[in-house]
Amino acid sequence: MSDNHVIRVEDAGIRFRLNRRSRRSFKDLFAGRKRRARADEFWALRHVSFDVTAGEAIGVVGRNGQGKSTLLKLVAEVMLADEGTVHIGQGVAPLIEITGGFVDDLSVRDNVYLTAGLHGMTKSEINERFDEIIEFAEIKRFIDTPYKHLSSGMRVRIAFAVISRLEEPIILVDEVLAVGDKAFREKCYRRIEELLRGGRTLFFVSHNERDLRRFCTRGLYLDKGELVLDGPINDVLARYNDDYGVQ
Amino acid sequence: MRDLRVRYSTSALGYVWSVLDPLVMAGIYWFVFTQVFDKAVGEQPYIVFLLTALLPWMWFNGAVSDATRAYLREAKLIRSTKIPRTIWVARLVLSKGIEFIASLPVLAFFAIATGAVLHWEAFYFVLGVLLQAILTVGVGLIVAPLVVFFRDLERATKLALRFLFYASPIIYGIPDLEKLGLDGLAAFNPLAGIFSLYRAAFFPDQLDWYAVLIGGLMSLILVAIGILVFVRTERAVLKEI
Repeated sequence: MSDNHVIRVEDAGIRFRLNRRSRRSFKDLFAGRKRRARADEFWALRHVSFDVTAGEAIGVVGRNGQGKSTLLKLVAEVMLADEGTVHIGQGVAPLIEITGGFVDDLSVRDNVYLTAGLHGMTKSEINERFDEIIEFAEIKRFIDTPYKHLSSGMRVRIAFAVISRLEEPIILVDEVLAVGDKAFREKCYRRIEELLRGGRTLFFVSHNERDLRRFCTRGLYLDKGELVLDGPINDVLARYNDDYGVQ
Repeated sequence: MRDLRVRYSTSALGYVWSVLDPLVMAGIYWFVFTQVFDKAVGEQPYIVFLLTALLPWMWFNGAVSDATRAYLREAKLIRSTKIPRTIWVARLVLSKGIEFIASLPVLAFFAIATGAVLHWEAFYFVLGVLLQAILTVGVGLIVAPLVVFFRDLERATKLALRFLFYASPIIYGIPDLEKLGLDGLAAFNPLAGIFSLYRAAFFPDQLDWYAVLIGGLMSLILVAIGILVFVRTERAVLKEI
């Protein structure tokens, strides 16, 4: 394995079941394999292979339900591939489901320490950046308010502020930022650009062409769970527009 | 840590709660078995006899019943971090274990108050904690992922725990089972051996090496099954929650 490949995905595939709600009961357990409703499975991703070198900014393009978010989850290692391998050489700061780690009953302050700690920051590192995080999120007044009393916009803001301060070399951004208002979104984007200039590797999922062109140099085009095209972002966007003809 | 902090951040009594629960239970059983009935089981002082098994039982019971919700309750959190997924079970065992250790002064208080004699076998306490930690992690690793697929298991586990409470030597001792000829069978309940290790501190006669050996083996088998179940279901659990 060459040293500057920070992400290496080889023939990765992941499948989901179609027709089953998550609940099964004991009846299914004792009904035996044959009598159990034969679950249709579909591959959300299959035969996906690509390498990423450090410092690349990659945009993931595709229609809804074609495996973009699943790919990000594989890279974040919060889901595991059913076949193939996903090798991630460095730490990842995932901006997907970012509000997940926050506890409703605890104050904003405790939550910052908890979430940052969960992602591997030490206490002194958090102390150092605490003010910076709060200032970025613009919620100084609510620092001791229980998290559950914050508005949804504020929740995303504080979550983004924490995750984007993680010193991880790989950043994943899903469409989470759609929630924030325009000014805050712009602030987030500037922060992402700043991180990119610092040599971070970026994975970006978006439907917004302007944003994609703004950050990314390389594009991955996913369709029906397969990697259709891997190339410069402009080529990828052109191909995508050709296929799903919205000019 | 997170567990304890979340748990007690909103309640003023905090620590008292984790002690109050076993205390109330012990009070009830003490009343029933020494005041209402003639004492025919266990050893004297009965309250110490009871607490030596009841406190570790609270650890096992609390950790296993919390493990049924380990993945469901924290689903959002688990989906957003990649830290080893065994932690969600291990931290329950740990935090309940800390509560157990923290409740030991209650036992010490009653031991002093009733003048129970501490024997050198108290050193087996360490072995007891070790075996129980292995056992509890094992059971937790089996239960936690399976509940994600079979929600009924949550209730089944509660029922099994209630059964296990009376089926384990807590309100009675292994010697009481010998009279019934059930001691050989009881040894296959790993808790029997573990509790006898704890009890040996005050009641050396309660120590039953046969039960400890079988219980230790059972614990290791259970933890092996637990790891197997966990590894085989990890992918599916992540998709499911």
